[in-house]
Amino acid sequence: MGATDRTSGPRVTPEHASPALRALTAAALVLPGLMSPAAHAAEGDEADFQYSRYQEGERHPLSTFLDFNGVPGIRNLPNNNPIEVDSLHGTAKVTLADRVKLVFNYTQDTWSGATPIATAPAAFGMNATGNFTINGPKTTIVTGASPYVQSIGSFGGAAFDARLNPLRLNPDFVSYSQDKRLAHTLSSASPETRKQGDFKLGYEWNEAAVDVGGGISLENDYESRFATLGGRLDFNQKLTTVNLGLSYTNSHTKAVIDHDASPYIDTTAFDHQIGVDDTTGTETLSGNRQDWGANLSLSQVLSKNAVIQTGAGYTRSTGYMENPYKVVEAFFVNPDPNFSGIPGVFLAADGQAHAFLEQRPDVRNQWTWDVRYVQHVPVVDAAVHLGYRYYHDDWGIDAHTFDADWAQPLGRGWTVTPRVRYYSQDAADFYHPFLAVLGDPGTSEERLKKLPGSFSSDHRLSGYGALSGGVTVAKQFAKGVSLEAGFEYYTHEGSLKLGSGGEEDFADFDYWVANAALKVNLSALGGGGAGDHHHHGHHAGHAPAGVMFDHMLSQAGDFMAGYRYMYSRQAGNMLHGESDAGDAAIVAQGCGASACWKAPEEMDMHMHMLDIMYAPTDWLNLMLMPQFMDMHMSLRDLDGATAPAAIPDHGDHPHTTGGVGDTSMYALVKLLDVPGHHSGHHIHAALGVSAPTGDVGIKLRRNHLHDPGFIHYGMQLGSGTWDFKPSLTYTGRLEDWSWGAQLSGTKRLEDSNDVGFAFGDIFQSTAWAGYNPLDWLTFSVRGLYTLQGELKGEFTVPNDRSGPMDFGTSYGGRYWDVGFGVSATVPAGDFQGNRFGVEWLQPVEDDVNGFQLERVGSLSATWSLAF
Amino acid sequence: MNRIKPRWVALLLGAGFFLSACAPIAPWERGNLAKPHMALDPYPLQSAMRAHNYGAREAASGGTGSSGGGCGCY
Repeated sequence: MGATDRTSGPRVTPEHASPALRALTAAALVLPGLMSPAAHAAEGDEADFQYSRYQEGERHPLSTFLDFNGVPGIRNLPNNNPIEVDSLHGTAKVTLADRVKLVFNYTQDTWSGATPIATAPAAFGMNATGNFTINGPKTTIVTGASPYVQSIGSFGGAAFDARLNPLRLNPDFVSYSQDKRLAHTLSSASPETRKQGDFKLGYEWNEAAVDVGGGISLENDYESRFATLGGRLDFNQKLTTVNLGLSYTNSHTKAVIDHDASPYIDTTAFDHQIGVDDTTGTETLSGNRQDWGANLSLSQVLSKNAVIQTGAGYTRSTGYMENPYKVVEAFFVNPDPNFSGIPGVFLAADGQAHAFLEQRPDVRNQWTWDVRYVQHVPVVDAAVHLGYRYYHDDWGIDAHTFDADWAQPLGRGWTVTPRVRYYSQDAADFYHPFLAVLGDPGTSEERLKKLPGSFSSDHRLSGYGALSGGVTVAKQFAKGVSLEAGFEYYTHEGSLKLGSGGEEDFADFDYWVANAALKVNLSALGGGGAGDHHHHGHHAGHAPAGVMFDHMLSQAGDFMAGYRYMYSRQAGNMLHGESDAGDAAIVAQGCGASACWKAPEEMDMHMHMLDIMYAPTDWLNLMLMPQFMDMHMSLRDLDGATAPAAIPDHGDHPHTTGGVGDTSMYALVKLLDVPGHHSGHHIHAALGVSAPTGDVGIKLRRNHLHDPGFIHYGMQLGSGTWDFKPSLTYTGRLEDWSWGAQLSGTKRLEDSNDVGFAFGDIFQSTAWAGYNPLDWLTFSVRGLYTLQGELKGEFTVPNDRSGPMDFGTSYGGRYWDVGFGVSATVPAGDFQGNRFGVEWLQPVEDDVNGFQLERVGSLSATWSLAF
Repeated sequence: MNRIKPRWVALLLGAGFFLSACAPIAPWERGNLAKPHMALDPYPLQSAMRAHNYGAREAASGGTGSSGGGCGCY
């Protein structure tokens, strides 16, 4: 939610003036009731969806090693687990009543990968995993999976010269030479998901507006709540606009200190904030921070071809602003030149590194000033955007940001916008890659007193520059729909800093981001009930929300955009076949030849799908359905079972995965269409393929010095195989009644995916009946039968198989459900034709393969609009 | 703080003088200004996403007057 204020420029025309409002959970959008039929899609009303992927480049920290001849050296480690983030964003902007606007945003990020948690001189060998006898240039060393923040893997100990520059032991094993090179220690994380919902409610006058907003961002270890207040004033015939924004954020950190590293991390400074779980010994660090912000900006139309905006902002942050996962390595160096026995060489008094949780000041005052200029270039009808931002804070950081882009329309609704950005910042006063102080370490309290009051080795607080560039391609379709796609490459380098003094290259990294967005302009689509509006599907009654492909677009050239949300939950008893399964039976039979010790306790799945449908002819529709999903599972211990000694019990941490799922493409073919005024019958077939775009290689992070391997099959994001998905649908109606039936299937086209397994084939049959008490409202009941085969194959690389969910024999089964639904089509007004539906599927009977968790039910919610 | 404030005051005052010199622009002369790619931010969805990425990676994300975004603790 950055830079919201920038969007509200001078109120030149309604088209230009997109207010500083955006938001709305896409899920909330699909609830019928939310928008009354009386609501009108006013200028600016729209629904947007965006997906983006952030992919960091690999980092290769330095480590010490011994070659074949026993000669010590330093080289780069392999690291194949860079940070990646998948994000989904939905926005709805709607006019609730004359002059009252609501914006709702929903954002979801799932990230995983390895990130630096500490820094030390490379010669000290902090990255050598346990031992450092790694021979041969081709030997692969696995590192970064679990942090080693204390052990020194060098051959000469932690050695410094008289000015506390780090030294490296020479191959003669006697002498030392200066080696200032530094290395990050990386730690990787299992996937984690953040979800944010926020809104803004605004009231507009002709030349002014006010808005209030609020939101919440939730992660396992961080919760943030915020409120905003904004105002806008136009004057000077709307050539000048003043915006004021105020914000308050309250954030709570609740971080589990890495179990493998906690014995080696000095947490003394935060002991009063750390709670210890009595049974598991897990240490949790809690902290609270508050941010108060104010921002004032002025926009001015300079000429018929130029606009400028300038603004100033102030934010005061207080409380716990540390990153709870970052530590700073400190070395306590014996000042006695005779201690090492080598002239000019000073050794760490106790021969080891001390890792302290980073300590930042509790107050941060931040000021910004920015200016933005937009110039039209009439000769090519382009727009040039130039921006500059100055930032200053009392942590000692000054930063400058320059950005420029050239927005070039190409005709036929296409616009290409190349962009470049440069950013440079100074280091914070308390940034130290590591600390070296003279003296004995002494007790914890004595050690802390020898260190500065604040210290951090987070490279975000170092001095560096960042250069990024990219391009955005946008296509505006005639019917109020636009697609945007963007790409950006970003490189962070110490040497790119303005002036000198940037951090060394060990902290350099790069990333790329790709994004795609679909924007539907509701006001342009509705057309105020114009006569050419298509009654897609022409059936008075609509199929329940949980039924896909229930209708076709009937006119060549028609489009439909839709959004579908599905939630399903499993919890309660474990089943075996049709009956409850006791723990003893699961232990004995659930895990093949070995004994189970875990069983799933609950599992939730959320799926977001976009439906994009196009009718090239009246008998053929093409459909594209990208998916985004996230899943959450927690396990429990089975009574009377013990984990194998080799596998540590990691305390039932719930697991989360999320990201892009499989992408389906369909062709719908009309087979029979008997339209009529009072009754009608329609049959169509769908032939589809599902492309394996969902990740099936997600692994759990190393924990307790153990790599659990792949996460359970059911927690992977897709099937990993190309799948064939045919279906046959019949719908009929008579007066206020409607009904239908559908047969559908999923046939895996491959025996196994890249990681060794294939889900079972699926067959489904369903039938429903609907009644319309009003023209625009349908209630429905349906029955559903699902048959799915067992999972075939298994992970090619063995994982921890702790329970039935890790065995293919406990996938699939026969399931019976009953669904209750309601759907509505906005009958008139500017929102005419928007269709909403919800359906709850209640399990009636399960007959599962192997041992599976009972189903609680699933919810489907849809929105669609044909145009 | 004190060494910053006068600079801003001067800038805002300067901006005020600058702007007061602008000639009026009639509504029918605002066609170019109304074009979507002439907006101060033509791609607000992407801008918000990029701002979030920068915010998780750069120290100078504060002071925007906006909120949310989570920890970015990676």
